[in-house]
Amino acid sequence: MELQPIFIQMLALLLFAIGLATALARRNVFFVLMGIELALNAVNLSFVGFAKTLPAAESVAGQIVPLFSIAVAAAEACVGLALVILIFRNRESVDSDNYSNMKG
Amino acid sequence: MTNLPLWIIPLFPLLGTILLGTVAVVSSGSKKGPSEGFVGALSVLFPALSFVSVVLLAFGMPEEGIRQTLCNWIDIPMLKVNIGFLFDGLSRVMLLFVTGIGSLIALYSIGYMHGDRGFTRFFAYINLFLFSMIVLVLSDSLLLTFLGWEGVGLCSYLLIGFWNHDLNNCKAANKAFIVNRVGDIGFLLGMLCLATLGGSAILNYDALNKFIEMLIAGGHVELATPIIAIAGLLFFVGCTGKSAQIPLLTWLPDAMAGPTPVSALIHAATMVTSGVYLLARLSRMFSVIPEVLMIVLIVGMLTAFWAAVAGLFQNDIKKVLAYSTISQLGYMFMAAGASAYDASIFHVFTHAFFKAALFLGAGAVIHALAGEQDMRRMGGLIKKTPVTACVMIFAFLAIIGFPGFAGFWSKDLILERLYTNAPFGEFFYGVGLLTAVITAVYMGRLIIMTFFGEYRGPKEKEAHIHEAPACMLFPMVILAVGAVFAGYLWADSLGIKFFEGTLAPVVGVAQDFVVGKLAVAHVNPMAFACFGTAAALLGMFIAYAIYGTKRLPRLHAKWGSAPEGFKADWTFFFDYIHSIFIVMFKAAAFVADVFVDKVLQAIQWTIGAIAEIVGDGVSSFQARKVRVQLTLSLVGLVALTAVVLLTGGLF
Amino acid sequence: MLALIYFIILAVIAVGAACCVFLSKHPLYGGLSLVLTMLSLAGIYGLLGSPFIGVVQIMVYAGAIMMLLVFVISVLNAAKDNRTPMFDGTSIFVLIGVLGLAGLIGFALVLTPLGFDATTLRGSVEMTSSNLFDTAQTGPGYFVLFEVLGLLLLSSMGAAVLMAKKRLGSDASVEAASEEAIAEEKEEK
Repeated sequence: MELQPIFIQMLALLLFAIGLATALARRNVFFVLMGIELALNAVNLSFVGFAKTLPAAESVAGQIVPLFSIAVAAAEACVGLALVILIFRNRESVDSDNYSNMKG
Repeated sequence: MTNLPLWIIPLFPLLGTILLGTVAVVSSGSKKGPSEGFVGALSVLFPALSFVSVVLLAFGMPEEGIRQTLCNWIDIPMLKVNIGFLFDGLSRVMLLFVTGIGSLIALYSIGYMHGDRGFTRFFAYINLFLFSMIVLVLSDSLLLTFLGWEGVGLCSYLLIGFWNHDLNNCKAANKAFIVNRVGDIGFLLGMLCLATLGGSAILNYDALNKFIEMLIAGGHVELATPIIAIAGLLFFVGCTGKSAQIPLLTWLPDAMAGPTPVSALIHAATMVTSGVYLLARLSRMFSVIPEVLMIVLIVGMLTAFWAAVAGLFQNDIKKVLAYSTISQLGYMFMAAGASAYDASIFHVFTHAFFKAALFLGAGAVIHALAGEQDMRRMGGLIKKTPVTACVMIFAFLAIIGFPGFAGFWSKDLILERLYTNAPFGEFFYGVGLLTAVITAVYMGRLIIMTFFGEYRGPKEKEAHIHEAPACMLFPMVILAVGAVFAGYLWADSLGIKFFEGTLAPVVGVAQDFVVGKLAVAHVNPMAFACFGTAAALLGMFIAYAIYGTKRLPRLHAKWGSAPEGFKADWTFFFDYIHSIFIVMFKAAAFVADVFVDKVLQAIQWTIGAIAEIVGDGVSSFQARKVRVQLTLSLVGLVALTAVVLLTGGLF
Repeated sequence: MLALIYFIILAVIAVGAACCVFLSKHPLYGGLSLVLTMLSLAGIYGLLGSPFIGVVQIMVYAGAIMMLLVFVISVLNAAKDNRTPMFDGTSIFVLIGVLGLAGLIGFALVLTPLGFDATTLRGSVEMTSSNLFDTAQTGPGYFVLFEVLGLLLLSSMGAAVLMAKKRLGSDASVEAASEEAIAEEKEEK
C-alpha cells in the first residue's frame, strides 16, 4: 500500500481538530495561542497535500501560499504575545475568562 | 510690439497687489507706516504699465482679435477649462478705459488718501481690483470671467468697508456683497444651464457662438430655446446684481460709504458696467431669445426712470451721483435690450469718462470741505475751487447730453436705436427722453447747490476751503477732456463711425440677426439730435427755475438725509421688498428649525428607545464568556456543514 | 511503501505531540510539545516533495515563533498559576462541537476521490524563488503580496513594541519580538 493523499488530509484534519479544541477548551491564554498555531499548521499541511494532487502548473499556488501563511502567523504571534503581556500586566491573570468585561 | 503676450496685462496689477500687500503687512507693526511717495509711485506704476501694454496691443490688433491660451486650469472628466485670453474689439475698448481710468484714479487717490492709516492697503486693493477686472474682461471663457466677476465683487466689498472702524460702512459692505451674491448665483446657474445644453466646452465664448450658429444653421433653435432662455435670464440676474438694476439695486447707493476714488473707479466707471459687458459678450446667445431681451429692455427702462426720479431727492452729493449711475446703467441695459450692443458699450465708454470726472470732482469738493458730503451745506464753491468746478460742469454737460459733449453722442445713439430697433420703440424712446430731462434736472440741482449761490456751511470752515493738490487735479482735467471729446469716436450725425467699426466683429452678427428681421424705419438722425438737445435744455431750465433762485431745500427739510453711511434715502420700496423676502426666509428658517428641533428629535428619540428596549431584551440571551460564544459559532459552523452535506453541496 | 512507513511514524509523533499540547498542565510543556509537532510536520513536508516549506517551517515556526512563545511564558512566569483549572464545563461542549465538525469534514473527505499527480512540481527553492521573484514570467501578483507582507511584519513589530513597552522587565521580550520579526523577513528573502 502506497501513501495516499487522503492520509495527509486526515492528519491535517486531526491536527486542526486538536488545535481548535485546545484554543477553545483550555482557559490558559497561552494554550489558546498555541491552539491557533496548531490549527494554522494543519491548514498549511492541507494546502501542500492538495497541491500534490494537481498537475504541474496548478501545483505552484498550493506550495507558495503556505509560505505567506507562515509569515502572517509570525505577525499574529508577535502581536498576540504583546497583547498577552499587556493584559497580563493589567489583570495579573492568564485566565482568558477573566478578561471579559461583558455582562450576561 | 504686437507679439506682446496677453497675460502681461493682468500680470502687472497682480505684481502690484503682491508687492503692496507685502509692504502693507510688513509695515503694519510700525507706527509711521511706509513712505507715501514710494507706495504711491508703485501703485500708479503698475496700472500704468498695464495701460501701456494694452495700448501697444490695441494698435497692432488684427481684425478678428488675438486668442491666447496660457495654460490648463481645470482638467477633470466632464470639465476641461483653459486659462485663455481673448483680445478683440470689445475687450480692447473695455481694457483701454479700465486700465486708463484705473491709472488716473490711482494717481488721484495719492492725493485723496494722503495721511490715511491704510494708505498701502488701499492701493493693494485697487491693484487687486484692476487685476480682477482685467481678468473679467480679457478671459475667453465664462468660467474665467466668473473668476474675475467674483474678484471684483470681493474688492468692492473690501473697499466699501475700507474705513472699517465705522460699523455702518461694514454694514454697507456686507449689503453690497450679499446682494451681489444673489446675482452671482444667477451667473453660476446660467453657466450650469449652458453646460447641460452643450457640455463644458461651450463655456468658451467662441465655442458658444459657434454652437448658436450651428443651431441656427440646423434649424434647431426652437428645441434649445427654453434652456437658452433660462440661461439668458439667469445671466441677466447676474448682470442686475453687478450692475445694480431692478430689483438688486439697493446696494449701490449704500456703496458710497467707501472712499470717493473707489466710488469713481468701481461703482461708476468699471465694475458696475461689467453686466453690460457680459450682455454684449453673450450677444450671439441673446439674439435667439428676443423674449429675454424684452425683459432686459423693460428692466433697463424702469431702472433708468426710477433712479433718475430718486436722484431728485438726494442731498448727499455722492448719493446723487450713485443714482445717476444707476440711471445711466439703465440706459445701457435698454440699449442692450434693443440689440444695440455697440451703442450700449459706447455709452459705457463715454459714461466712464464723465462719471469718473463727476465723482472725482465730488471727491475734490468733499476734500476741500474736509469731509462734508451734504449739499445743503455747500454752495458758491466756484469762486474757491474754480478748476474742480470747471471739470464738474464739463462732465455735467456731458451727462445731460449737451450738444457736442460725449454723453450727447452716446445717449442720442441709444435713443435713436431704441426708436428704430425696439418693439414699441416710440414708447421706450419717450420714456428715455423723459429720463433725459429728469437727468438734466437733478444734475443741474447738484451743480447749482454745490457751486453757485452762497456758501451755507459753518463759517469757521469757510476759510479752510482750498483747491485740491495737483496730483488730484491732473486726472480730473484729463477725464474732463475725455468727457468732452470721447463722443467724437462715434459722432453719428457727423458721419464718424470709428467706434462702430471696432465693435462690429464682436457684436455685429448678433445685431444684424435681430435688427435684420425688423423693418427699420429710416429717420433722420438730426431729428433725434434736436429732440435730445431740447430735452437737455429743458431739464437745465427746469433746474434753474426751481433751484436757481432762493428755493433751495433747507437743512431740516422733510426728507432728512444722512450724508454718509448705511441707510439710503428714497430707495422707495426696494429695501422694503428685500426685507419682506428676508422675513419670509426667516419664517421658513424658523419653521425648519422647529421642525428639526422638535419633530426630528422626537423621531430620533423614538428610534433610540426602540433600539434600547430591543437591546435590553436580547442581552439576556448573551453569553458572557468569549469561549462560549466562539463555541456557539463553531456549533453554527457544524450545522452549516451538515446542511451542505445533506443537501448535496459537495456532490 | 517506505514513504508510508515514514509517514505513519511522523504522523504518530505529530498527533501524539498535539495531544500533549492539549493535555499538558504547564504551558511550557505545551510549547515544547508543539515544537515537536512542527518538526514532524516539517518532515512530512519533505516526504511530500516540498523541502523548502519544511525548512521554513523549522526555521520560522519551530525556531522563531515557538521560541518567542516559550520565552514569553518564562518571562511572565505563569507556571505558578495553579488556580486556573485546565478544563471546565464549557470544554465538554467544545469537544462535542469539534468532534462533530471533524466527523462531518472527514466524512466529506473520505467521499472525495483524490490521487497524487505525477507531474506535480517539486517545491524546491528554485521553484519557489522563480515563482515569487521572476515577475516577467509569473506576473507581479506574488511579488506584490510578498512586499505587502513585509509591511505587515513591520507594522506588527511596531504595534508589539507600542503595546508592550511600558513598565516592568518586558522590554527584553519586546526586543526579542522585533528581532524575530526582522529575522523572519530576512529568512524569507
